[in-house]
Amino acid sequence: MLKPEKMVKISVVGSREKIEEVASLLHRMNLVHIEEPEESEYFRIGEPLESASYVSRALVQMRSFISHLKLDPSKIVPKRKYKASEIEAQLKQKLEEYQRLIGEKLEYLRSVDEKVSSLKEELNNIEPLKQLGIPARLLKRYKTLRVFVGMVKENPESKLSEITSEFEMFAKEYGKELVVAVFVKAEYGDEFLRILQESGFRELPVPDVDDFDARIAEIEKEIESLQSKKEQIEKEIEEIKVKEAETILAIEEFLSIQMDKYELPLKTLVSRYSFVLVGYIPAKSLDTFKAQMDSNGVAVEVLEEEGEPPTKLNNPVGVRNFELLTTTFGVPKYKEIDPTLFIAIFFPIFFGMMLGDIGYGLLVTILSLYLKRVFKTEGWQRMLNIGVYAGVMSIVFGVIYGECFGPFVVPGEYEPYQIHFIGSQLEHFYEFHHGHPIFDRVEEMGVKILLFATIIIGIAKILFGFALGFYNVYVEHGLKDAILEKLSWIIGVTGLAMIIFGFAYNVGVFYQLGLGPDPGDVPPLPLPGLMEGWQAGVNMFYVASLPLLVIWFILFVMGEVPKMGAMGVILAVELLTWFGQIMSYARLLAIGLSSVYIAFVVNFIGMKIIDPVGISIPILGALILVVGHIGNLILGILDPGLQSLRLHYVEFFTKFFEGGGKLYEPFGRIKRFIEE
Amino acid sequence: MVEDALAKGLIAVGAGLAVGLAGIGAGLGESGIGAAAVGATAEDRGFFGLGILFTVIPETIVIFGLVIAFILMFAF
Repeated sequence: MLKPEKMVKISVVGSREKIEEVASLLHRMNLVHIEEPEESEYFRIGEPLESASYVSRALVQMRSFISHLKLDPSKIVPKRKYKASEIEAQLKQKLEEYQRLIGEKLEYLRSVDEKVSSLKEELNNIEPLKQLGIPARLLKRYKTLRVFVGMVKENPESKLSEITSEFEMFAKEYGKELVVAVFVKAEYGDEFLRILQESGFRELPVPDVDDFDARIAEIEKEIESLQSKKEQIEKEIEEIKVKEAETILAIEEFLSIQMDKYELPLKTLVSRYSFVLVGYIPAKSLDTFKAQMDSNGVAVEVLEEEGEPPTKLNNPVGVRNFELLTTTFGVPKYKEIDPTLFIAIFFPIFFGMMLGDIGYGLLVTILSLYLKRVFKTEGWQRMLNIGVYAGVMSIVFGVIYGECFGPFVVPGEYEPYQIHFIGSQLEHFYEFHHGHPIFDRVEEMGVKILLFATIIIGIAKILFGFALGFYNVYVEHGLKDAILEKLSWIIGVTGLAMIIFGFAYNVGVFYQLGLGPDPGDVPPLPLPGLMEGWQAGVNMFYVASLPLLVIWFILFVMGEVPKMGAMGVILAVELLTWFGQIMSYARLLAIGLSSVYIAFVVNFIGMKIIDPVGISIPILGALILVVGHIGNLILGILDPGLQSLRLHYVEFFTKFFEGGGKLYEPFGRIKRFIEE
Repeated sequence: MVEDALAKGLIAVGAGLAVGLAGIGAGLGESGIGAAAVGATAEDRGFFGLGILFTVIPETIVIFGLVIAFILMFAF
């Protein structure tokens, strides 16, 4: 569970004639993670089999149909599996049929779109001319005059008149611009053009039509008829899509499988008569694989050489969902500990600790269960399963905290029914505990206890992380490195924890929690020279921390100085980082409290409006309750989710998890539409 | 009595400042990192995990502020 599955490195050697057969077999077994080969003197990388080019063309065609039809294979659950032989038999005929049914229609749609856009452009040109109100035949074909027809950004008339007064200009406003027609003697033409260009002139082509209105009506009619034709064809394509979706996807899958097989030689080395491929296979499948290959006359041999095997995460069913969270951060190396189990245990607990509300938890659970029926892909299913676990944990903590859409007991002189719409019922529910939550995190003592608890969780989790890191370094680099790199920090963080406990003891946390005697009025942090009488602040925790910190510092210097030189000592400041990370766990309390108070405020305002002194507006009150709680729920899913993840990624994983492994990807694929 | 109330009020103001200023600081820090992280994620989906990690690093400062606020409220 904590380790990736054991792999063995193997070579598969056979005669070149057999490569197609072997490809089919390997693909069907879906077991061998093939390594990229390196060429050598006698062995070259193979070339794709002959049929590959036909298959690849067909595949490109099918994929273009799929993308045009916007088919999403992950959303389609096949009603039946297609036999590979069945598809192979009718492949050619189907491809032609689809070319006729879909390809030609798509082609036609494209031409319609082109036509429509060119018509629209013409329309855009004619409309300003119509505004100008000069017939088209008067706008061109003069012998001694030059005519400029187009759009300008500012009126050029005054500038033009500086050149000559012998010109005629017509202008009309069109949108933010002006549409102008300027008539001038041909000899002034070039100068006029320059001036016009300075005013942002954009020429409009003058069409050969007499009646602008008639032409506009004609164009509009044409566009309309094209659009309706387009809709008609889109409808037809939609019908085909509904009817043929599964077959299309099955064919695509079939072709992809063929393509994988035909391209296998690219991953093998070939000599004149033989081929060899090297890869990894799970150790437990080795025997069956070998027997299967032997019976086909292909030799399989286990290689003893060193290498970095691919990582096949190996977790039981429930935990497997959380692999998603692990691999988002990184893929564990083959020899590393796979932290999925820990994230599976702690992620939902942390989420629950933060959200901790029966009502919200129920909604999260129900929502996840519902979405599981809608989104069928593996990634979504895994994520939603995580959602279900997190929701259930929220309900559990909700029962402990006594919250259901907000607290029913808050500090101050409020009765439960005043601040919560089901306050009285909740009070009844908790009758076994004198009408109080089992643990009240809103009230002052609750906050203190929870703050202290989160810091203890932080210390424990960070120490645990270093312990796992110790194991990882020990496996990879040996005991000495493990002690210097990780054990030193375990000791250092323990010393740090002692200081935190000492501080807590002196400010009376232990006393208030009933765990120790009253320390009296003593300085919290007994630093010599900081204040008079610091000696009174020394307690057993501070005493215990001293030797720990000394041992840590010696180990640390032994580890860092050889690597970094004398300056390495400065890195000891890093101990403060761990202090920060321990404190960081206080967010388990903080995020939760903020959502509790939002819920409380929403309930409080809602109840005030529903049941005020004077006029009551129940509908507005109910609206505030609904909207407020939906908003808080969205925050309540996002924030605890991200923060819980972050506590794992930043504060936990960094202690031991390096990542950078490669995922086990066997040659073959999981078939959704095809069976062999 | 008046002094006591004044002290309490000042403590509350101090706690508010601790959380609020820390929040502003963390927000400023995160804005740049967040923008860069989103950009990097758009280029390569695989960066998502690391991006979140980078983005939330300054957030610890707010927690410091919060802890200070708690200590102010409870320990004094």
